[in-house]
Amino acid sequence: MRLKKKNWLLIPMLLVLGLTVLAGCGQKSVASEDVLARDKANKTVVWGVKSDTRLFGLMDIKTNQIQGFDIDIAKELSHRIYGKDVKIDLVPVTSNTRLPLLKNGNVDALIATMTITPERQKQVDFSDVYFDAGQAILVKKGSPIKSVKDLKAGTKVIGVQGSNSVDNVKKAAPDTRVLQLADYAQAFTALKSGQGDALTTDNGILYGMSSDDPNYVVVGGTFTNEPYGIAVNKGQKPFLKAINKNLKAMRQDGTYHKIEQKWFGKIQGFHQGR
Amino acid sequence: MNTFAQAYQWVNLRYLLEGLWITVEVSVISIIFSFLIGAVFGLLRYMKIKYLSLIVGFIVDIIRNLPLLLIIFFTYFGLPNILGVRFNTLWATIIAMTVFESAMLAEIIRSGILAVDRGQMEAARSNGLTYWQAMYHVILPQAIKKMIPPIVSQFISLVKDTSLATIIVLPELMYHAQVIYGQNTNFMIPMFLALAVLYFIVCYALSLLSRFLDRKLSEA
Repeated sequence: MRLKKKNWLLIPMLLVLGLTVLAGCGQKSVASEDVLARDKANKTVVWGVKSDTRLFGLMDIKTNQIQGFDIDIAKELSHRIYGKDVKIDLVPVTSNTRLPLLKNGNVDALIATMTITPERQKQVDFSDVYFDAGQAILVKKGSPIKSVKDLKAGTKVIGVQGSNSVDNVKKAAPDTRVLQLADYAQAFTALKSGQGDALTTDNGILYGMSSDDPNYVVVGGTFTNEPYGIAVNKGQKPFLKAINKNLKAMRQDGTYHKIEQKWFGKIQGFHQGR
Repeated sequence: MNTFAQAYQWVNLRYLLEGLWITVEVSVISIIFSFLIGAVFGLLRYMKIKYLSLIVGFIVDIIRNLPLLLIIFFTYFGLPNILGVRFNTLWATIIAMTVFESAMLAEIIRSGILAVDRGQMEAARSNGLTYWQAMYHVILPQAIKKMIPPIVSQFISLVKDTSLATIIVLPELMYHAQVIYGQNTNFMIPMFLALAVLYFIVCYALSLLSRFLDRKLSEA
């Protein structure tokens, strides 16, 4: 019996030891390999993308393919960096899973409506801006409100709880009243039913609403600066350089403009303030 | 009523069924692996082999008392870091489910054997059967009959627990439903109904199987 008690202490110690050894072996994890060289050899590149965001990355139920602006940019970059025959893997991520997936090497890069912030830059490296996101306002077509400056006393703007967009709009238009709702769908329904004069959040989401119902338009451009970047792991300078170089080339030869037109061209107000 | 007709149009239903297929695939593979591993672990723990049974028992007890979601996170986020291998969401889920369910089944199988009266083994041995002969011909046939209902209900919860993998975006039934009503919030209630029906069909089929096996074994 006494032996058994000793064993019970021994086993957890062995287990911890085993795990430490395993962790030691893992020092050279997939995330710290040279992504550019590995993907070139394997002819495969893995992108983390959104699958639930209209216009940027949305699952098409008919074809079971994710489509959007982010996806087209990712595909174009992959072809330019690795050649036409590269296999492009699109892994759907959420705002909660994307950073761990990148850090662990499940994905090579993230192109997932991700705003470049100093906080995130401590953990990952960002490419140059690929989309000028920022907060904007959506109004009914023909509304007297033409920009955030027109949100004066007596107007009411609809925002979504828990996002910093409400604080931002209070700063930009201190006299307006703010109606906070639980989610984007409710907020848009409230705008349609006239419970507010404008709806405010990221321009990308507003463009999605506008493409849903063209009677509503984005006006006045953005009044905050929250640009989207492509995130890669720290220590992947060659990969990051390749992304930036090709992003620049895409802007210069018109491919970027073509993709932008494909997704946002028909949306009224897209070119305002750009 | 119109929303229901729109929600259940063929493209949506086909998309749901594609999700159901992944759910079934994950479930079946996990059931097969976890049954085999669980049986071995359950027996090992039961047999009281020095050290080995203790180690097995220790591992089983740890895993059984962890939330399944934690194990899924570990296989998806943790293993690439530790072992340097990347699993896609499908295999990360299958491995996590197998690990967790093996531990659960090991305990069900062990307690099934323990539930057979000790006298049975003693009687068999005193009739000249070896330990393994007694186990195979006398103990296990009785034990299996006792194990089937709890094993099947464990499998039923396995099928339902696959929905936890939506968190790592495994394209299974629950996730596909979320995608559909994410694109049109009016479809939320119709999708919940469809989910209830589909999960019910799969799980009820499993419990029918349990009843069938039970009858089959009683006849024998």
